[in-house]
Amino acid sequence: MVWAPICSGLQRRPPEHEQVPRQRPALRTAGSAWLAVVAVVLASIPARAEGPDLLPNERAFAFAARGAAPQAIDVRFTVARGYYLYRDKLKFSVEGNAIAADPLLPPGENKHDEFFGDSVTYRGTVLVRLALRDAMPGRPITVVAESQGCADVGVCYPPQRQRVAVTLPSSGAPPTAFVPAVTPARGWFH
Amino acid sequence: MAATDDRAAQPSSQAPASVTSGTSAAVPSRPVRSRAVTTALVILALLALGAGLYFGLRSQHPRSADVLFAVSMPDTNGQMHRLDEWRGKVVVVNFWATWCAPCREEMPQFVQAQQDLGGRGLQFVGIAVDQPRPVRDYAEKMNLNYPALIGGAGAIDLSRTFGNTAMALPFTIVIDRAGNIAHTQLGVLPRAKLDSITAKLF
Repeated sequence: MVWAPICSGLQRRPPEHEQVPRQRPALRTAGSAWLAVVAVVLASIPARAEGPDLLPNERAFAFAARGAAPQAIDVRFTVARGYYLYRDKLKFSVEGNAIAADPLLPPGENKHDEFFGDSVTYRGTVLVRLALRDAMPGRPITVVAESQGCADVGVCYPPQRQRVAVTLPSSGAPPTAFVPAVTPARGWFH
Repeated sequence: MAATDDRAAQPSSQAPASVTSGTSAAVPSRPVRSRAVTTALVILALLALGAGLYFGLRSQHPRSADVLFAVSMPDTNGQMHRLDEWRGKVVVVNFWATWCAPCREEMPQFVQAQQDLGGRGLQFVGIAVDQPRPVRDYAEKMNLNYPALIGGAGAIDLSRTFGNTAMALPFTIVIDRAGNIAHTQLGVLPRAKLDSITAKLF
């Protein structure tokens, strides 16, 4: 949209140039206003370190959950491309109920690091079913996930805790839709 | 867009008429377009200026390390340290953790750099976003020759103040002898780069 008038204007500009000075004071004012806006926006951007562009922790490892059955919750991590989660750092808990048995975690891929040893990692989508101690059909329940992951560019994120409230379906009803974790509010200057 | 195209289709013989009609009362076709062109160019110029300033500002860090120097943290023996006890040296503050593989990858180089350049006034200070026990075990195993302070989980917020917007590790701040921040690095800081940064500071 922007380029067409600029290009055509550049081709046949000269004859009308005398007209331009009349526009200048207005343009200068508009320019100053823009400059002020740009300055304010820039001043509010915290100075960023040298290094790769990275997603924030909660978007690199997006957590969601759904009520799978009256006595089960499905939890899901969606790991952004170029990032990975450590399998042995995954922990789940529920509030107002209990997880009946250690969840069956998918196999993952083996990773060897000269300085870190062997570990199992997940990429893409990780889906885990949590069996609950008590059936709570039609009732809300909060599931909490702890995770820790890294980016291939060579940084790691601190362990993070994400929580989602889901409603368990009634007996015989289909699973509910996945509910994404709400990002904790974080102030601009925090 | 449609309006502009219509005007462009008008015969060029109209242009001289618009010039002679002179004042702002008439709104001739060409000046409107040239105004649009000028505005677009001004906006582009401002965007370029903004981008220039943004990338300029984020690569330079003319900020003081006073906030960092005012912080106190325990070392692996529980002894408290205020970071300004190293003020006046070329201080390299490295935020790290034992659970961070790339951090562990770069630390042997830091141990070597401390040994090579400590005599010239270089001082590494590690701030672990971690618990005391794994840090103590790792520091012993590594024969760490610089302080390993225990920052706990909150230390990541401290690093954010200095430009660690992604709040990831490792994150390294180089401070000159006057207490100004000379460089901040997210991700591994290779020895060659460290040397080129610090060479100007001794």
